Amino acid sequence: MGEIPRERTDSFEQVLRRREAQVLRTAFRILGNWADAEDVAQEAFLRLHRHNLTFANETATGGWLYRVTVNLCLDRMRSARHSTDSQELPDVPSREQSAEAAVLIEEKKRRLMAALATLPAKERAAVVLREIEGLSTAEVAAALGSSEVTVRSQISKAMVKLRGMLTREDV
Amino acid sequence: MTEDQMRELFREMREEPVPADSLARVRLGVDQRLRKRSWWKLAVPLIAAGCILAAFLLLRPARTLIQVQAPSLPEIAHVEPPTDVPIPAAPRPKRVRAKHAGAVPVSIRIETPDPDVVILLVN
Repeated sequence: MGEIPRERTDSFEQVLRRREAQVLRTAFRILGNWADAEDVAQEAFLRLHRHNLTFANETATGGWLYRVTVNLCLDRMRSARHSTDSQELPDVPSREQSAEAAVLIEEKKRRLMAALATLPAKERAAVVLREIEGLSTAEVAAALGSSEVTVRSQISKAMVKLRGMLTREDV
Repeated sequence: MTEDQMRELFREMREEPVPADSLARVRLGVDQRLRKRSWWKLAVPLIAAGCILAAFLLLRPARTLIQVQAPSLPEIAHVEPPTDVPIPAAPRPKRVRAKHAGAVPVSIRIETPDPDVVILLVN
């Protein structure tokens, strides 16, 4: 008999404390603003509580939370798109703005995030989970409910688009 | 910007701390919504039980109340057992002679077959 998996014995409160940053950060990177990210994070944890789920290990808990978070973000983006007929995508900050920035690296990050926000929802989610959260392709596929091949394709396309947008800005 | 540079920036973003106030708001929001839910968890069954009870009381078939009366026992005269004490005789009413209206002498003459004998009753 193996030891009792930690997550099985954890209270909801403990899981919340350990995972809140992950959920909030993922939601923010996908949605692009903290207010929406906070709503999504709350809803994700409430679902965890409502279903009274127990997981075999940390990875399973994290995987479930990533999947719920991404789905909630995609739902939110979908409804936002329906609610406004012509939603304007955020502008990629210009070089003039970056020149005024105190720290160049921060400016680059800002521009990268702004470019990321222009990607289609699923591509954006795939990039966030794979590149920012550092999940494996299989984990990203599980979170998005698609195949690994699809995830690889989405990430590849997304990186090409991002590079294109940021290179145009650099010129 | 090259792909490697982008990946490097993404990796740096992974290490960025999440704003503490956002985390606090998430905790607070979760806590509040759980409390609200737990209130409903109590209230809903109570309300449902109350509704079921009210429906049961209102919709049950009307019944006229039949009053069952216990059969009344016939009254039995209470007879005192005879006592040894002699019952005092009721005072005998005094005979009252009829008073004659006046002092008129009444005489009855009874004749016998013998013409020489006549019985005469006076008063």
